[in-house]
Amino acid sequence: MNLSTSNATALIRARGLTKTFGSRTAVDAISFDVRDGEFFGFLGPNGAGKTTTMRMMAGVSPRTAGTLEILGSDPDHDGPRIRGQIGVVHQQETLDQELTVRENLLVFGRFFGLAHKEIAERADQLLELFQLSDRAKDQVEPLSGGMKRRLSIARSLINAPRILMLDEPTTGLDPQARHLLWDALQRLKRAGTTIVLTTHYMDEAEQLCDRLVVMDQAKIVAEGSPRQLIEQYASREVLELRFPDGTSGISKAALDGIGDRYERLAERVIVGCESGEAAHARALERGLTPESWLVRRSSLEDVFLRLTGRSLDE
Amino acid sequence: MSAAQVAPRRSRGFAATVGGLLPHPTRWRHVTAYMVAVYRREWVGSVFSGFIEPIVVLVGLGIGLGVLVGDRAAEITGGVSYVAYIAPALMMSQAMQFGAGEAAWPILARIMWVRIYHAMVATPLKPTDIIIGAIVFIGGKVAFAAVFFAAVLLISGIATSPIGALAMIGVSTLTGLAFAAPITAFSVTQKTDQGFSIIFRLVITPLTFFSGTYFPIENLPDWAQFLSWCTPLAHGVALSRGLALGTETPNALAHALILVAWAIGGTVVASVLFRRRMLK
Repeated sequence: MNLSTSNATALIRARGLTKTFGSRTAVDAISFDVRDGEFFGFLGPNGAGKTTTMRMMAGVSPRTAGTLEILGSDPDHDGPRIRGQIGVVHQQETLDQELTVRENLLVFGRFFGLAHKEIAERADQLLELFQLSDRAKDQVEPLSGGMKRRLSIARSLINAPRILMLDEPTTGLDPQARHLLWDALQRLKRAGTTIVLTTHYMDEAEQLCDRLVVMDQAKIVAEGSPRQLIEQYASREVLELRFPDGTSGISKAALDGIGDRYERLAERVIVGCESGEAAHARALERGLTPESWLVRRSSLEDVFLRLTGRSLDE
Repeated sequence: MSAAQVAPRRSRGFAATVGGLLPHPTRWRHVTAYMVAVYRREWVGSVFSGFIEPIVVLVGLGIGLGVLVGDRAAEITGGVSYVAYIAPALMMSQAMQFGAGEAAWPILARIMWVRIYHAMVATPLKPTDIIIGAIVFIGGKVAFAAVFFAAVLLISGIATSPIGALAMIGVSTLTGLAFAAPITAFSVTQKTDQGFSIIFRLVITPLTFFSGTYFPIENLPDWAQFLSWCTPLAHGVALSRGLALGTETPNALAHALILVAWAIGGTVVASVLFRRRMLK
């Protein structure tokens, strides 16, 4: 595994980071660096260990083994100091529904020991940045899912954190709300905030992350930029052949050599190849009769498939 | 990566565990301030009920039961009217109900449904700061309600001196805390609110009857008297009654210390259990 050697600028540094719950290993000896100013992702299916890793980084879950440095300190010893310099957005809402939008920010700023005046100024800036100014005096409860999520992120920035950690930030949001949120996160990154995010959406990881690690079954199985990962683990194009009656009846001989490699899923065969059109022609020559087919560029989804033999949403 | 790179962690020493539990000297007050911000939306209503509740309780129970008890009151009370006998005790019973109730659903909700405690432990606040802040708020709320009760008792002449009435507010607060803290310790271990109905049915409500509220504790069999003194309410009632009637309470300091012990002990246990739940 290619570990970063430029530790000088690493804000987060994990080596052999491990977490067990009883006999279950949630995170199994993973190592990674998050560098200053980058957008770093943990991509993987549910249960891969992403949230547990995030909780350890946020200083709310003591690790079982390994070393972990956040902003140069050990979260198990310097928890309060580290937590004062990071912002965390949880997967499930943690807003106070009885307070107004603005009050949620004001109250939260005090938990960091900030002065009232500073908090008030920052709260107004954040409400502006996240397009919530006109809802400042409204209760939280009637807000849409996308607005609540934007408020959660605004609240996590009240202490001007050096690192923002987001756990599955767009799960449950409609496409428009997702894009609004992605735009806001990219603005934050341009402003210099280091952002760490977990996601099981490959398009989210591909759009946002400078670098990411792919997690599966408590381990990191690959690391790199989205482009590097695709180049390394996937071919240029992908041909998808759909067989609604199932793929188990298709012989190995019929599939070998259509492209560079293939993965057989329940109702689809995914063929990695240089040219999807040419691969499709070869498939027809061999007498395969897919109900439908499509050619697309390779994505992180294909990287995950190649590495684990499973698709992300399975 | 080889297994040799995985440094096994030494388990946390005793000192580190205690250090993790010690509160920050002042940060708990931000938690109390948060609770006050939520409470600001409903406090007008609670002023109204703060006055109405003691009056209803006194008129309903005091006068109603007083008529029933009639001339035999002196046998029970040692000379004063039945209303004057039970009123200071009912004030403590109200403090108990209030303290216990506030430590039940509102605490569990912030773990399970509102989930804001999960966001709070991700700030510099320690779990102990959150518990202390929440319990202090409950103490304030109990004190606030006690002010009205004491005012009603003073105006009606049941409380014989303003200083006594003032001290009753203190005892009331202490009694509320003596229940709020251990109930908080229970709440932070729960996943549903079903346990609360058991606590209230089997502990809180029976205590109202067996803590010297309506009749002297000495009328109970020895074992029941012992059980009564093991819980906070009997101590609150003993102190409150003495303060209201202007009589001297034997072992007053011991009563007060037992209430303090319940409050502090409950807070410590609640902090340990809350930390265990939130930081795993």
